[in-house]
Amino acid sequence: MILLYGSQQDYDVLSGRATDRPAMSAEQIAAMHQHMETFHQALAESGELVDARGLSEPVHARRVQVRQGAPVITDGPYPETQEVLAGYTIVECASFDRATEIAAGLVDPDAPGGYVDVRPVLDGVEDLAG
Amino acid sequence: MPETPVEDLLRELAPQALGALVRRFGHFDTAEDAVQEALIAAADGWPRDGVPDNPRGWLITVASRRLTDLLRREQARMRREDTVARWTLPEQWHAPAADRAAADADDTLILLFLCCHPALSPASQIALTLRAVGGLSTAEVARAFLVPEATMTRRISRGKQRIRDSGLRFAPPSGPERADRLAAVLHVLYLIFTEGYARTAGPGLLRADLTAEAIRLARLVHRLVPEDPEVTGLLALMLLTDARAPARIGPHGELVPMAEQDRGRWRADQIAEGVELITGALPRGVVGAYQLQAAIAALHDEAPTAAATDWAQITALYEVLLGMSDNPVVALNHAVAVAMSRGAPAGLALLAGLADDPRLADDPRLPAARAHLWELNGERVAAREAYRMAAARSTNLAQQRYLNARAERLAGDPPPTD
Repeated sequence: MILLYGSQQDYDVLSGRATDRPAMSAEQIAAMHQHMETFHQALAESGELVDARGLSEPVHARRVQVRQGAPVITDGPYPETQEVLAGYTIVECASFDRATEIAAGLVDPDAPGGYVDVRPVLDGVEDLAG
Repeated sequence: MPETPVEDLLRELAPQALGALVRRFGHFDTAEDAVQEALIAAADGWPRDGVPDNPRGWLITVASRRLTDLLRREQARMRREDTVARWTLPEQWHAPAADRAAADADDTLILLFLCCHPALSPASQIALTLRAVGGLSTAEVARAFLVPEATMTRRISRGKQRIRDSGLRFAPPSGPERADRLAAVLHVLYLIFTEGYARTAGPGLLRADLTAEAIRLARLVHRLVPEDPEVTGLLALMLLTDARAPARIGPHGELVPMAEQDRGRWRADQIAEGVELITGALPRGVVGAYQLQAAIAALHDEAPTAAATDWAQITALYEVLLGMSDNPVVALNHAVAVAMSRGAPAGLALLAGLADDPRLADDPRLPAARAHLWELNGERVAAREAYRMAAARSTNLAQQRYLNARAERLAGDPPPTD
C-alpha cells in the first residue's frame, strides 16, 4: 500500500483558494490528472493495480471519540500544515522492491521534500521474507 | 468507442437471450453464466464463419444447452443437499417458434423489470441492469462506479442472491404494478446517466461511456414502450442534457457554466432529436417529472444565447414540477429561474426560505446559488463570502476551483494565476 500525504494547505492550492502559496493553474491541474490517469492505467494494464483512491480534504473530516461511554464527534479544524493521509494506491506485485519502484512514480518531482510511504499489507508479509 | 457490427449485435441480443432463458428456467444466476458462454462462443465464431441466419435463435439454443448442463449438475447437487429446486426442469421446456420477435422484445423489458425490482437496493439495481441488460463486465461496472472489483462482485451476487431467495417472479407485471416497475426502471436509468454526467473533473472515458450506455438503454426502453410519455421524456431529457457536454468542460478540465458555454459546440443533432421527442410527448397523457425536466432542458438548448433564454417559461415549468414533489433542489432551481425572470431580489427571497432545510445543510448548491444572485444584484462582498462557503462545502475539485475563481474575481484583483 502506497500512502500519499497532504495538508489542508495542499488541498487549498489544488482547489484554487488563495493562500500564502500560489494556487495551481488549470494547466497544472490538468497535467497532474493526466499523470495520475496514465500512471494508474499502466498499473491496471500490468495487472498490478488493486485500488487507488483520493481522500477529501481534512476540513471534511470528522473525529470520533468515546468519552464516558458516549461517542463524541468533532469536525476539524486541523492545523493547516499538519499532513494527513490524502490518498492511497494498493498494488499487488512481485516484490517489495517492485512496490517501491512503483511508489517513486507517485512522488511529485517538483515538490521539494515530497515523499510517499510504502507499507506491506499484513496478509502478504510472509511473501516478503524471500 | 469503436465496436464491430458483431459486438453491436451481441450487445443487442444478450438481454433478449438472457430474458428468454430466465423466463423459461427462472434461474437468473445460472442463466447468466450460460448466456455468457454462448456470447463468448458467438464472439469467437461469428466474425470467422459469418453471422447465422437467426442469430437470436442460435444464441438461445446454445445457451439453453449449456444451461441444461449446468442445471443438471446443480440439480444433482441440490438433491444431494436435499433442497427443493424452485426452477422448472429442462425436460418441461418446449422450444419456442423460431419467429417470435415481439415476445423476445418483451423478454428484454421483463429482464429490466427484474433487475430494477424494488426489493433490491438502488446500488444492486444499477449493477444488475448494467451487467444483465447493458452487457458490461463486472470490472467495467466497478470502474465506472469507482469501486474495487471485489466490491462490485459482492454487490452483484448479493442482488442475484436476493432475487433467488425472495423467489421474484420473472413475469410481466400488470396494472398499477407495471407502472411502478416502469418508474423504477426509469429511475435506475436516470441514476446511471447522472453518475456519468456528474463527473465534472479530470479524464474519465468510462464515465462518458456511462452516459452513452444510459442513453442506449433509454432508447431500448423507448423502443419497447413507445407509447409511454415519461419514457419518451426521460430519453429526451438525457439527449438534451448530454448535448451540452462538449462545451461543459474547458480545455484544462475546468467547469464552464451554461451562461458562458460556446453554444456552437452543443450537439445540434441530439438537440433536434430531443426537442422532437419531447414536443411529441407533452400533449399526450399525463405530464410527469421527466417530461417537465426535458421541456426545461429544451428551452435552454434552443436559446440562441444565454441572454435570450425564456426564463419566464422555465419558471412556469419549475412551478409545475414543484407541485409534484417536495424536492429542495427543484425549489433551488426554481428560485434561480425566478431571479432570472423577475430579478435577483425575488429569487433571493425564495432562497431564504430554503435556508433551514436540513436536506441542504451540507450541500454547496444553496450558497452557490445565493452567491450567483448576490453577484447579479451587485452585492460583491456577500457574494464572495457565499462562493467561499460553497467551495468549502464541495468535495469536487473542478467545482471548488470554479467557485474559488468566482470568489477571486469579486475580490477586485485578478487571480494569482491563469
